[in-house]
Amino acid sequence: MTATSTASTTRVSAPGTLFSTLSVPIAIVALLVVGAIVSPSFLTVSNLVNVLNANAAVGLVALGMTFVAVCGGLADLSVPANVAMGALVTLGAQSFAGPFAAAGLGLLVATIGGVVNGLLIGYLRINPIIATLGTGAVLLGLSQQLIGGGIVYGEPSPLADFVKGSMLEIPVMVWIFAIAALILTPVLSRTAFGRWNLAVGGNYQAAEASAVPVRFTKAGAFVLTGLLSGLCGVLLALSNGQARPIIGTGYEFVAITAVVIGGTSLFGGSGSVLRTVGGVIITALIGNLIILGGLPTQATGLVTGAIVVIAVGIDVYFRRKGGRE
Amino acid sequence: MTEAHHIALRMTNISKSFPGVKALQDVELEVRAGEVHAIVGENGAGKSTLMKILAGFYQPDEGEIEVDGVRVGHWNPREARDRGIGMIYQELNLVPDLTVAENISLGGMPRRGPFVDHRAVTQRAKDVLGELQADIDPASRLGNLSISQQQLVEIAKVMADKPSIVVFDEPTSSLGEKETRVLFDVIDRMRRAGIAVIYISHRLQEVMEIGDRVTVLRDGRHIETRDVAGVTPDHMVRLMVGRDLNEMFPKLDLEPGERVLAVRGISREGQFADVTLDVRAHEIVGLAGLVGSGRTEVARAIFGLDPIDAGEIELRGEVIRVRNARKGRSAGIALVPEDRKGQGIIPGLSVRENFTLPVIQRIAQGVVIFARRERAIVRSLVDRLKVNPPQIERPLNAFSGGNQQKVVLGKWLLAKPDLLILDEPTRGVDVGAKADIHEIIGEFARDGGGVLMISSELPELLAVCDRIFVLHEGLLVDEIARADATEEGVMRAATGQVAA
Repeated sequence: MTATSTASTTRVSAPGTLFSTLSVPIAIVALLVVGAIVSPSFLTVSNLVNVLNANAAVGLVALGMTFVAVCGGLADLSVPANVAMGALVTLGAQSFAGPFAAAGLGLLVATIGGVVNGLLIGYLRINPIIATLGTGAVLLGLSQQLIGGGIVYGEPSPLADFVKGSMLEIPVMVWIFAIAALILTPVLSRTAFGRWNLAVGGNYQAAEASAVPVRFTKAGAFVLTGLLSGLCGVLLALSNGQARPIIGTGYEFVAITAVVIGGTSLFGGSGSVLRTVGGVIITALIGNLIILGGLPTQATGLVTGAIVVIAVGIDVYFRRKGGRE
Repeated sequence: MTEAHHIALRMTNISKSFPGVKALQDVELEVRAGEVHAIVGENGAGKSTLMKILAGFYQPDEGEIEVDGVRVGHWNPREARDRGIGMIYQELNLVPDLTVAENISLGGMPRRGPFVDHRAVTQRAKDVLGELQADIDPASRLGNLSISQQQLVEIAKVMADKPSIVVFDEPTSSLGEKETRVLFDVIDRMRRAGIAVIYISHRLQEVMEIGDRVTVLRDGRHIETRDVAGVTPDHMVRLMVGRDLNEMFPKLDLEPGERVLAVRGISREGQFADVTLDVRAHEIVGLAGLVGSGRTEVARAIFGLDPIDAGEIELRGEVIRVRNARKGRSAGIALVPEDRKGQGIIPGLSVRENFTLPVIQRIAQGVVIFARRERAIVRSLVDRLKVNPPQIERPLNAFSGGNQQKVVLGKWLLAKPDLLILDEPTRGVDVGAKADIHEIIGEFARDGGGVLMISSELPELLAVCDRIFVLHEGLLVDEIARADATEEGVMRAATGQVAA
């Protein structure tokens, strides 16, 4: 008995798994080295802080998107609409509700968007891509209707000053992203809800037969992403002092990129929030390098798009291979 | 070797290693044209690997393959097929929305110019179905056929390529007795047509019945090849496990306690009607019936996976309304499903994560799962269930079928149910693991639980169960006490020869 117990404590660590755990940090270090060579202004504290600051808001979306991917929900394409809703309501409601309540209202509206997604996908079992494409279009249309297609401007407020400020030399936006990541990492790896996400994404029917609340879990991942998209919108609106319906355009893709680069499978069943944090940093650095390297900004889409396709391709290849054996 | 036997296939000194495992070592296999050559062995003995080498999915590290006396080198699945090797797997590789004829020609549609020649497709299907004496309309949609008919189409698809060697890998595991008969007739005709048939099965009775010669593999090695006529199933089991299994199905004699489950007149449209049965504490009750008789559906309904239209379910004297698996679990019911791959395991999750899934909320107690507590629980269970190797962090899909089944069974033992429903708990499981699983079930009953067990293997039901309920076309037709149960009696009821 004792002998078997000791045997079971040894974790299997094949060279492959070691490589895959270290690949994200290695990639970050490699990017830093390449960046230092490409541009003298890359490896400076102010540049790196700026890069993180600029990507913290979309990083929040990526954290939520991790849950969506892990539970087998593919991706949430309604992110731009929920970001816009969060941003527009935050600024638009300031005049009558005050800055704090308005921000809360922005979060609430985006979360409701997530709840609608969750109901459609988790409970009615509509394909997530179709469902979120639809809700995204509806919500974006609604937001444009709401403000008549123009720009909403915010008023100066202590909340906006706080969001734009820094603590201990680090921008508040980065703090918020770090805290959210710190909370959500154990939510996925160490709570029943997180375990359910992994199980539902790994084998929906088996999870259902194992008394996992499959519908609730899947819906929950989309509600979480809605909430975080809303937070992203609130922060963007407050720090920019203005918001337009197109404020979150392309954010769904940046978030998916970060999730995939971090190594979370888009096909569900595995992944971690910490890896997505790594993915956010990598995508941010790549974007920064392209600009510092003197390439046109449009190249960012080309590079990240290619990376996503390649990363997903590798994932599919290894899944096939694993499945056959 | 006399000249009278034409050797269709010879595999010599085949060795194959995977990272960390020696899957095959110096394995020999020689199959004659016109014989049914059975390959038996426990899970992990190397049968599948050997067949995947033959089919071109794997390359051997060492060894030679000769087909019809001609040595073949490195080859891929397509080349293997072109050289006359046909594979029929347990899972069907068919498209439900296409017609039978289209499925048969799927690999290479006859064409006229750039267009599919539908007349030729139909003709080809008619020819090959005729050869198999299968009464199936080539124009019907595949998905509308029964599983048994679909399997015949799968065989027809392989036969359309005119193979000289056909491999059947566990073909009967999803078939009932009647369908198995049909399959055996087909195999017999192949044998008479001079085709070399390789037949892999865990069911030794079938090997005795259909096989001419049998090769036993154990731990990746060739143990023995001999004529089936000279061996008994006991002998084969001894060769397979390398030890004696004195009693394959040990039975504990327990005094039944109070009633755990009472099902009264439950019905579900199109599946079963007016089913009444009960299970008492310390009791193992069998649910017999052919495939399609509604046994799996009854089990799912009791657990709450499918809703019932009428009737009531009482657990420990209280009427319960189960609408999903969560309600079933809370009521004290557990179900080990028939389809292990589809509904039992989460392949990518570790043994630990699979084990604790139904009770993870309880382990989390509040918010966070305490890793140490979780590991301790899983480790004690892994020891008790003899999961091998006892590595709880390894993904479950890296384990053999028997070990996976132990984990699926074990995760429900953790939920401490009053009633354990088992749907084909030992299907596709090797002899050693089967004995372990029976022991686990016996212990559960001894400790006061009630068991409702479905199995297609009658000897298993007869040996393990105290009472057997028999379903036929969705109706409960018989209840047989242990003392009166015979294979013939159960079979008569299951085939509808007993009035309800």
